[in-house]
Amino acid sequence: MRGLPSLLMLPLMLAACDGPLSALSPRGPVAAEIAWLWWAMLAGAAVLTVLVLALLAMGFGAPRPARARVWIHGMGLWFSVAVLTAVLAAGLWVGERILPRDDGAVTVHAHAWQWGWTFTHTGPDGAEVRSDNLLHIPAGQPVDVLVTAEDVIHSFWVPQLAGKLDAIPGRTNRTRIVADSPGTYAGLCAEFCGLGHARMRFNVEAHAEWPPLLAADDADTADPDREVRP
Amino acid sequence: MTDATQGAASGGPDESPARPGVQEAEELAIPRNPPRPALALHRELHRVWANDRGLWGQLTAVNHTTLGLRFMGTALVFFAIGGLLSMLIRAQLATHDGAFLDTELYNQIFTMHGSIMMFLFAIPMLEGLGIWLLPKMLGTRDMAFPRLTALGYWCYLFGGLIMLTALLFGVAPRDGWFMYTPLSDATHSPGINADVWLLGVTFVEISAMAAAVEITVTILRQRAPGMKLTEMPLFAWYMLGTSVMMLVGFPPLIAASVLLEVERAFDWPFFDVVRGGDPLLWQHLFWLFGHPEVYIIFLPAAGVLSTLIPALCRTPILGYNAIVAAVLALVFLSFGLWVHHMFTVGIPHMALAFFSAASVLVAVPTAVQVFAWIGTMWKGQPELKLPMYHILGFFLTFVMGGLTGVMLAIVPFNWQAHDTAFVTAHLHYVLIGGFVFPMMAAATWWMPLIFGKRRIKGLGEAAFWVILIGFHGTFFIMHLTGLMGMPRRIDVYPDNPEWVWLNLTSSIFGFVLTIGFAMFALDMILQATLGKRSARDPWGAPTLDWAMPVPSTSYNFASLPGPGMWARVAADVVLPLARGEGVLPGAPRGRREVLVTSVGGARPQHVALLPGNTALPLWLAASIGVFVLLMLAGAYALAGIALIPVAVLVWVWGRGLAPAGDLSPVEAAPGLRLPIHHHARPSLSQSGLFALLVADGALLASLVFGLAFLSVVTVGPVPAPAGGGGADTVTLLAVVVAAVALGVGAAGRAARRRSVAWAGVGLALNLLALALLAVVLGGLDDPTRHARDALRAVLAAYVVVHVLVAAAMSAFALDQFRRAEITAEVAGVLPAWRHWQGFTAVASALVAVAVIAQAGA
Amino acid sequence: MRLLALFIAGPALWAVLFAAVYALHGIGCAGLTGPESLGGLWRLVMAGVWIAGLGAHVALLRALPAGRGGADRWLPLTGGWIGLGASAFTLFPVLIATSC
Ligand code: HEM
Ligand SMILES: [Cu+2]
Ligand SMILES: [Cu+2]
Repeated sequence: MRGLPSLLMLPLMLAACDGPLSALSPRGPVAAEIAWLWWAMLAGAAVLTVLVLALLAMGFGAPRPARARVWIHGMGLWFSVAVLTAVLAAGLWVGERILPRDDGAVTVHAHAWQWGWTFTHTGPDGAEVRSDNLLHIPAGQPVDVLVTAEDVIHSFWVPQLAGKLDAIPGRTNRTRIVADSPGTYAGLCAEFCGLGHARMRFNVEAHAEWPPLLAADDADTADPDREVRP
Repeated sequence: MTDATQGAASGGPDESPARPGVQEAEELAIPRNPPRPALALHRELHRVWANDRGLWGQLTAVNHTTLGLRFMGTALVFFAIGGLLSMLIRAQLATHDGAFLDTELYNQIFTMHGSIMMFLFAIPMLEGLGIWLLPKMLGTRDMAFPRLTALGYWCYLFGGLIMLTALLFGVAPRDGWFMYTPLSDATHSPGINADVWLLGVTFVEISAMAAAVEITVTILRQRAPGMKLTEMPLFAWYMLGTSVMMLVGFPPLIAASVLLEVERAFDWPFFDVVRGGDPLLWQHLFWLFGHPEVYIIFLPAAGVLSTLIPALCRTPILGYNAIVAAVLALVFLSFGLWVHHMFTVGIPHMALAFFSAASVLVAVPTAVQVFAWIGTMWKGQPELKLPMYHILGFFLTFVMGGLTGVMLAIVPFNWQAHDTAFVTAHLHYVLIGGFVFPMMAAATWWMPLIFGKRRIKGLGEAAFWVILIGFHGTFFIMHLTGLMGMPRRIDVYPDNPEWVWLNLTSSIFGFVLTIGFAMFALDMILQATLGKRSARDPWGAPTLDWAMPVPSTSYNFASLPGPGMWARVAADVVLPLARGEGVLPGAPRGRREVLVTSVGGARPQHVALLPGNTALPLWLAASIGVFVLLMLAGAYALAGIALIPVAVLVWVWGRGLAPAGDLSPVEAAPGLRLPIHHHARPSLSQSGLFALLVADGALLASLVFGLAFLSVVTVGPVPAPAGGGGADTVTLLAVVVAAVALGVGAAGRAARRRSVAWAGVGLALNLLALALLAVVLGGLDDPTRHARDALRAVLAAYVVVHVLVAAAMSAFALDQFRRAEITAEVAGVLPAWRHWQGFTAVASALVAVAVIAQAGA
Repeated sequence: MRLLALFIAGPALWAVLFAAVYALHGIGCAGLTGPESLGGLWRLVMAGVWIAGLGAHVALLRALPAGRGGADRWLPLTGGWIGLGASAFTLFPVLIATSC
């Protein structure tokens, strides 16, 4: 009943899915893998919903024999185990493929604080380049982001490039993001972190050339006088 | 063979035609009592079981019907408040730059909405349902511990009021309903907001623990004679699962709350990374509670469905045994999923895979139930009455919520969807689909039994449609909102015009949903006030809860259903029960009597005398409330003093258990003479103590887990070598453990020989242990130095509290000897003390090992 | 009471096994077992524990008393199978998933 209209609405929804923060308009292979996983699961879920509701509607007919072997063993146990195993396998497969690995990927650093981000990458001269709320990465290759936090828990999320990873005080977490082509991508803090949470946004700029030559005002190179926290 | 009922429904997948259980129930033959005039019996029982008159009577009530309804009524009020708060949230989010609430207030409001809905609506609602319904369904007159029911209610009410008051004064919690540290610690959340949550919720959870203990005991020990465990109504299986989960699931939350409150109040750094603590420890403990919590909420609702669907389809449920197995699987599996709330904290993929697998696996028992229900509908002839509407609403909503749940269990997808509006949508699909719809079905089903009124036609159906449309209109597109990147817990989104139409739609339908709930409430009120008198058993139901007058009486059954009486449709047994033909008819001895039966086969064992109306629970809850308020005010020394009245009242409570009056055996049915509980083992209290010790063990396990976690997983500064590892501490601890262990022997001898001397020895040993513990505590390192030092101190304090209670119990035993209450037949507090002492011995040995190992490491 | 104990035996074994393997994983990742923490050897240890656990499940299933038939037999048996199924399904990633 509900599955059908939503299927019919699919084209409309697809058009509406675009947006700078949409996980459904991926701009890199990591996000794309997750997006197809989503569409596959959505299709399966729609079919299952329709199936269950149809069986339910048929229940309102005249009484007919219902055998435990069919309903409980067949549908409840084996059918669901089969479906779930397939979903789990797909999930693990995708998970393994998008994991950061020790393959010499470019590494940048994201440090979260109440309420903003300090990003660091290695500049052309080998020095650390720091920029607030703007992360520079190379386009077309995997980038590992080391995520840390200054005060409370935050979460690093660039929906078009990959899933999110929490920034936790005392820990360094590593996540992999990939942008197919140069451009600017929107990111945000996904873990509630207090009064400034809603405005804890940042941008990711993917460069064709790496490391990029930045105009002086684009980044403030490591400056000992400047505190990490504002 | 008896009539097919839900309880004795046709078997599971193996569908064996021979049902040995029923045969055995028939083996257990109890002759009927001679019939008596029903009205005379009613008067006799009512005098004994009714609440006292007037307002005071309401304050002293301990009756399960009164309190069950009061739990549910109060929960409904909180539901309305939580609903109003959600309307404020939706109003704020309707546009991208809502200026309706400021951020501070918005944060308080969504935190309070979530906390109220979970802790002050859902949990108390299911407790109330269990408390109100179980004795009726199982064929008994009250819960096992009526005073505990009342204590639970008052703790719930006072705790809830504290939280509401905080909201009124603008100091409500504001860190989200899972209160992640370090955001909720003293540095990042100064002020009392977070303390309100920690102390208020813990106060409320006293009621959850109380309810869990007595629901467990009532189901295991108070079923109608011959109602084997394997044949009891499915609702009872579900509630048994729920209560056991509460016994094991709430202690981690209580432990976490206590730790965080101690950190905030006394600067013990459990979660402070600078001093070796770990914010993830909070998350593990919280979700170790938080995920089972979801099933704690769902299981009673599923129990309602397993009760209503067969009754509305006029056929026994399909696969009774399979459903019992599904409940078992859910109870266990749901403790192995908690990390799916932590997929994004940076845990290695293999560990995520374990929890991902467990999370999808838990869908299997759920699917088994769903298909058993649909199969039942195929088998029978479903009637589209009002409760059935809500059941259909459940199916439509919950199936979708379950499927999005499976999606969220898939790790990579979770990395995208976590902490977005997608999760908000999912959790409302399962909570409203899996809990609120079944509860509405339950309300429409049991209203005649509550108020004795029939409903007014039309409004109920209209309310259903408005709710259904409002719900899906609000939450369906919220999945999309989340995938388009909208995080949860934000109040403005000025840069994202693409989210506006989604949010606006959700907000508009949100108000439709609220109108629907208001219509539903109006329908209930009209039915209660203007409805015509309902006939007895209006549904022709198969369960015992309808084998009584409507509205139900204070004592439920004039006589308790014997073998062969509970396994029939309600209509067949109403009259014989009302005329006193069942077991234990009337209240000829002028006291509240219930039958206690064996765990497996429900053979009559003895008669328990239940306490009557008393204000003691109110005073005890109030004195705990004073303690909580003083803690909130930061007056810690005064709070310590406030524990004295609490202790005194607990002592008085225990005094209330003393034997009094006529202790001779009772003739429950012709030829069936049963001892009263003072002369019988194991008593209800003993079963209750076991249940409590299960919870206590879970608390200890949570703390030990914490210590292990901090030692192994946390990558913090290594503590300076712990002091207290010296030879003296090891010796001291060994002596403490030895003293407590010898205390077990003393308690055992005191119990076996009824020996006052051994009770004295036990007291002396416990006091010795306490004195030595004081020295040990003095030798431990400063708990503010390092998280592991702090946890060690907490473990030591855990032992101190337990030995203190053991000492109090031995003193209580001495007092009972002095009053000559302990006799050759009456053991008084002695068995309870022995079990407590035994638990304390094991616990202190474990803690000693942990403390010494830490010092050595 | 006995019936209940038999009923929960299988799932309880799952709980113990799940906790044990998860704990081993934590210990391995913490590097408490040497620098090569979750290299091949440690994974073998975890897999060994898992397989031994599965064996214990099978042994439990075979050891369950025949009972008097009906639910008295069916419930413990089902509990045993639930435990075995859960242990097999939830811990198999020990063989394939990448770890720390
Ligand atoms: C009356 C209909 C309801 C509406 C319109 C509603 C709406 C909402 C909204 C808009 C949020 C906030 C999402 C955000 O922070 O972005 C929310 C959060 C939440 N709701 Fe509801 N809700 C309703 C009923 C319920 C019920 C019945 C329950 C539970 C039984 C519930 C439990 C929660 C929880 C646990 C949260 C999370 C709070 C947090 O993030 O700390 N809600 N709800
Ligand atoms: Cu943040
Ligand atoms: Cu969960």
